[in-house]
Amino acid sequence: MAAERNLGRRLARIGARGLAVVIAAGIAVGALAAAALVPWPEHRITPPSLVVKPAETGQLRVCPGPLLSLGDDPDEATTASSVGTTSVTHGAVPDDAEVAETPLAAPENPRADRDGTPLALTTEAGAVEAGMLAGAQGQQVSRDTIAGYAAAACDEVVTEAWLVGGATDVGRSGLVLLSNPTAVASTVDVRVIGEGGAVDAPSGLGITVPAGEQRVVSLAGLAPNLASPVVHVTSTGGGIAASLEHTVVEGLTPAGVELVGPTATPAEVQIIPGFTVPVDGGVDATDDHAEGDAFPAVRLLATGDDPVQVSIDIAPESGGGGGSIDATLEPGIVSDVPLGDLDAGEYTIALEADGPIVAAARATTGSPQAQTDPDGDDREASVDLAWTAATLPLLDTAVIAVPRGPNPVLHLANPGDDEVEATLTVDGDEREVRIAPGTTEAIEVEARGVVELDGTAGLHATVAYSGERALSSFPVRPPGPLDSPLRVFPH
Amino acid sequence: MFPRVTAVLVVHHGGDHLRQTLEAIRSQERAPDALVVVLTEADTVAREQITKISPTHFVDLSQRLSFGEAVRAADRVLDEPDSDGDALWLLAEDSAPAPDALARLVATLETAKSVAIAGPKLVEWHEPDRIARFGRSVTRLGRSVTLVADELDQGQHDGMSDVLGLDPAAILVRHSVWRTLGGFDPGLPTVDDALDLSIRARLAGHRVEVVPEAKVRFAGAGVAGPETGPKARTTRRRVRNTRAAQLHRRLVYAPLVLAPLHWLTFLPLAVLRSIRLLLVKAPGAIPGEFAAAVTTMFSGARVPRARRRLKSARTVGWSAIAPLRMQPDEMGRRRQHAAEARRERARGRKHELQFLGTGGGWVLLASIVASIALFSWLFGAGGVSGGGLEPLSNGLDALWRNAAYGWRDIGPGFMGGADPFAGALAVLGSVTFWAPSTALLLLWLLAIPAAALGAWFAASRLTERGSLRAVAALMWAFAPPFLIALGDGRPGAVLAHVLLAWLAFAAFGAATSWAAAATASLLFAAVIAAAPSLAPALLIAWIVALAVSGRAAVRLVGLPIPAIVLAAPLVIGQIDRGNLLGLLADPGLPTESTVPSVWQLALGLPDGSWGGWNSFFATTSVDFRIAVSALVLPLVIVALTAVLAPAFRSAVLALGAALLGFATALLATHLALSSSGATAVPLWSGAGLSLAWIGLVLAAVVALDALRRGRALVAWVVLAAVVAAVVPTAIDLATGTVAVRPAAVRTLPAFVGAEAENDSRVTTLRMTPDADGSLRATLERGAGTTLDEQSTLDATALTLSADEEQLAEIAGNLASRSGFDPEAAVREFGASFVLLDDPEVDDRAAVATAERARTALDGNAALVAVGETDFGTLWRFTSAEPDASAAQIPPEASSWLVGAVAVVQLIVLGATLLLSIPTGAGREADRSPQRRPARRPLIRARKPKPVAAAGGAEDASGIVAAGSDDGMTSPPGSGSLEPAPKTEPVDDEPQAAAFYDEHPTTATDDVEPSADATDGGEPEASEPPRTEPEPDATEGDDDGR
Repeated sequence: MAAERNLGRRLARIGARGLAVVIAAGIAVGALAAAALVPWPEHRITPPSLVVKPAETGQLRVCPGPLLSLGDDPDEATTASSVGTTSVTHGAVPDDAEVAETPLAAPENPRADRDGTPLALTTEAGAVEAGMLAGAQGQQVSRDTIAGYAAAACDEVVTEAWLVGGATDVGRSGLVLLSNPTAVASTVDVRVIGEGGAVDAPSGLGITVPAGEQRVVSLAGLAPNLASPVVHVTSTGGGIAASLEHTVVEGLTPAGVELVGPTATPAEVQIIPGFTVPVDGGVDATDDHAEGDAFPAVRLLATGDDPVQVSIDIAPESGGGGGSIDATLEPGIVSDVPLGDLDAGEYTIALEADGPIVAAARATTGSPQAQTDPDGDDREASVDLAWTAATLPLLDTAVIAVPRGPNPVLHLANPGDDEVEATLTVDGDEREVRIAPGTTEAIEVEARGVVELDGTAGLHATVAYSGERALSSFPVRPPGPLDSPLRVFPH
Repeated sequence: MFPRVTAVLVVHHGGDHLRQTLEAIRSQERAPDALVVVLTEADTVAREQITKISPTHFVDLSQRLSFGEAVRAADRVLDEPDSDGDALWLLAEDSAPAPDALARLVATLETAKSVAIAGPKLVEWHEPDRIARFGRSVTRLGRSVTLVADELDQGQHDGMSDVLGLDPAAILVRHSVWRTLGGFDPGLPTVDDALDLSIRARLAGHRVEVVPEAKVRFAGAGVAGPETGPKARTTRRRVRNTRAAQLHRRLVYAPLVLAPLHWLTFLPLAVLRSIRLLLVKAPGAIPGEFAAAVTTMFSGARVPRARRRLKSARTVGWSAIAPLRMQPDEMGRRRQHAAEARRERARGRKHELQFLGTGGGWVLLASIVASIALFSWLFGAGGVSGGGLEPLSNGLDALWRNAAYGWRDIGPGFMGGADPFAGALAVLGSVTFWAPSTALLLLWLLAIPAAALGAWFAASRLTERGSLRAVAALMWAFAPPFLIALGDGRPGAVLAHVLLAWLAFAAFGAATSWAAAATASLLFAAVIAAAPSLAPALLIAWIVALAVSGRAAVRLVGLPIPAIVLAAPLVIGQIDRGNLLGLLADPGLPTESTVPSVWQLALGLPDGSWGGWNSFFATTSVDFRIAVSALVLPLVIVALTAVLAPAFRSAVLALGAALLGFATALLATHLALSSSGATAVPLWSGAGLSLAWIGLVLAAVVALDALRRGRALVAWVVLAAVVAAVVPTAIDLATGTVAVRPAAVRTLPAFVGAEAENDSRVTTLRMTPDADGSLRATLERGAGTTLDEQSTLDATALTLSADEEQLAEIAGNLASRSGFDPEAAVREFGASFVLLDDPEVDDRAAVATAERARTALDGNAALVAVGETDFGTLWRFTSAEPDASAAQIPPEASSWLVGAVAVVQLIVLGATLLLSIPTGAGREADRSPQRRPARRPLIRARKPKPVAAAGGAEDASGIVAAGSDDGMTSPPGSGSLEPAPKTEPVDDEPQAAAFYDEHPTTATDDVEPSADATDGGEPEASEPPRTEPEPDATEGDDDGR
């Protein structure tokens, strides 16, 4: 009897304990399931911030100044002295905004008094919106040592510029023009990368450009005997405007001059609109032995640390089939890729790479051999050289100054997927331009004029000149990001 | 002529006391000549009883008057005394005289004409062989002490005659003397009234005698003299009245010139005595202490009247009564006896941890070795940094200022409450006061041993077995959330984990001592300070503990007070901002973390990683998630089986804590309350996981403790699995591949550091390129922002203050080409430097922003580039001046409110700290509910001698341990978490409890156990702490159980 009761009690106890474990495990599993399955409400704060629109400031552009020639004076072989004057055209929107021209000091140029110096263009704070001041210069020279036409935009100051162009092999010379229009002295490092890689040139580092002055550095002094240099300019302190003057002399005959402005910053996609090829001809892209300048080519540098595959699309503006070239770039090695046999005309070059690259395209109006070869066509044959730089997409509005020069043409490339309808205003006359996706419109514009653009967001623009012994172009640059609104988190 | 004796009987309640008293009066051998009955707000029963006996006079008072006033009212209806022999016999409803009592009292008055007052021997109502009160005296400093109290009457005091004072009940006073002296002093309504009358009689040249042969049974119901009862409220009132009476007498007896000085000392004395009350663990007596001081100080004309009454009757000097005062050597002897009794009691109650005996030393050694192995690379470092670690302010003043309500010196600065965590940091930093930042290094190096020890002690409350304690300690020390927090550099989470186990230990002990309860409340505050996300869970746990802890609840009820007081300014600040959730935000530097999945949470992994296992199993086909789950599962399973253990309630509470912790961690994954630049920083779920983990560990201890066989094997297997689960994390820690690293010498460029040497407020505007091309702008003062300067009020802000908007405006313009006046930074914030942090190289937007800012700053003529530093690019404002006024803390930041808040917080914390100092051993009643004594030994122990009763607790606890059921012995005091544990039902439990409960009364009440003839009872007025209120209070509860 008692044993039975004990047994019953024990069974009940075991049952109760089993139940307790089952309940405990059930709660545990239930908690996990509830945690995983129930969509619990979330609460995540938005960090407080303020979008700061920088206070309005005066716009500033600086023009490179007259073309310089090295060693004109036999006593001062290393002095670059100016060759003639350059013509600066500038404009602003609204057009009644007052644009002040302030000459920079060019203490190294003995002829600065006569030929003028680089100009700084400034407006009062708030007079114009960012990017709505433009200036450009154009100069035609014809001397024993230097001849041709060179146009250049007056640029904003930057702290980093990639100058793709120039050469320092026989007959070629290059001058790096560093202009500092700001109130703060600038310390500039000029690094040269060539077909053999980066050039060790300590003298290019730590160049001081005092406030309001221009300094000139000979490219050959830094890196002699380079066929394909790319110049990387960085500055600390005040910003600078950098450009590269590239002159070619074949034998004793001058065979072209160009002012190379900064190309678009390293990116995986680069667009070079308005690439003008004045004469038929060229060298096949696979030709490794092409020398000299006398064929259309694109100069490429992978700025990253890895090899880059790049596809080069060359599309004629007139439509029709273009070519496509694939190339492999070793990091830190500059490559000149010939663009093949091209018909005379205007092209848009689109580069797509799997790593950041910088690029610019080169063309000449004719073969220098045509001059020097006794059997050549014409000793007076038109010879000039031009570099067409990659451009950055424009903002919604832009203003372009078109300096003096032969047959200025504005090229508007639309690399996007939608048609763009832009408005051009010249002297108050509005004109609608429709640019289909993937095409480029060429618009003839007046020299010494100002073109106002509207609705151009995403377009790429270049102004190109071509004529007798004249070939040049300059990219239309959007304003730097320095003035754009900035989100600030003060926590 | 035959002297006339008028008995004055003061009645409040009717009933048994009154009936017996009336019978005793009726059966007097020498009957009183008249009986005056005074009814003070009496009930109907009393009226009926009184009308039956038809007294000579009958005074019915509709209000409750003191004994003295009631007698005065009776005296008014009486005629003038005919002779000196006429006397008043002052009786209360609960004083039943023996038949010969009046005869013997009257005989005394008759034989000695000089005797004005004769007092009987008051014996216990229910035990007439015990003396309740017998004579009174004062010490040299005027404290009232009983000569004999609560002693077995073996005739040892029958030789006493002349005394200084008496207790009021049943004294016989010459009527003429009564009238001359003006009766009892109205300023002494309950306590010391008869003593004061006796002293005045003595000063008037009369004598006061006790008559040992006259016995009066006395119940102490509060009609005459203070109510003596076990209830806490009664005790508190008695203590307060005793103190008030003492202060009143001091003002009355003092020379006139000294009286104002005495008056001035009352409040300071109350403060000092309160500190002592805290130290002796009698916090309940503190309000009474102050009430007594204040009511006496402002008692109106009572003191002057009493002084006049004293002066008018006085004929001899104070020196006349000096020999009758209690002598100092006698007081010293009494104190010694009391201390001995306390020690005796403490011995029975002390929790024997046997730290070394059960392997605690080995656990400590193992955890120290583990700490050395994991942090070998930290040795020799000057500090620790990385993750959420920053240096502490270099200087105790700054450290403590940052811990107090006032100026929050972060960014532009603002007024607001400090994070309680800053208080914890201030305490830590004060330990290494010569270099406060070293404290964090010490915290990192000592965290693992400290956590292991805490868990060991907590487990020692649940098990006697050394192996289980060791396993619990190591499981806690190697908890995944703990190691990950150590690697991530989260000082709050680390501190919370270390302290949680100690909090559990202290909370377990809160039932047995005030010191443990106060320690628990400090730890509670510290844990919540370090991890505010634990506050909801801990508050719920507190409420549950209150509900289930029975009589220990008294000590737990104040648990959150320090935490509340510390956090109050912060809470008010957040309520003001309408951002109450912000209170949960992790304090310290907001440190980003990946939000973990529920699976990861369940494994105790708070940082969204798999504890390093993913790389471990990268090459094999085994799923690392299942592998690590399999390693944590044994602990969970063992913990769940805790419900099988006899200590069911402990198991449920521990598992409940685990569930609460998991819920907290889950909640944390859904909240991101603070921001760091552009990032909303999610709440750290590791604190919740720590709580869950300690719940699991303690539940596992309960479960394993109940196992009969294979206990150690299962325990070590569970431990091995848990340790294996953290091996990859530990390897990361040991190799230093974690966020934490030895601290660099500085957090700002050396150039700024050098400037900060001269100007501690030198201000650096720091710009950090942030997500999506945005810019983070902060101000750093001096040598850099410190950990204690961080404020959750700042980190959880939902909007920008005007100052912050201005800072954003200035920084945004400095980082742009702008027409903005760059000098504004100098003017508004006193900025001297601008530091641009190097951006993350793979974030192109950040690189672009950095480039933009660099260009703008470079081109700014108001700035001079200092150059590239290890921290970024540095510029200096050309117009920067040392000690810029805009960089200083504004003078309005030190308002009276700052001081007031700090004082209140310090008082509360200081009081808790004093209370937490373990000086109370033996003074306090044990509230641990399960120490249920078997009844027989106690009765035996109690009967023969009170001394033996004092030792009874020891016997009793030993008996409990032996008598526990099925061999699963729970150690004594195994915790407030387990108020009514598994002991088999005792049928006659209430009776046993009642017997037992009388014991602490005798033991803790003011009883001198010695039966020495010259040795009276312990003076209750002199030793308020020993008249501990709470123990008595709970006895009431128990009786009703």
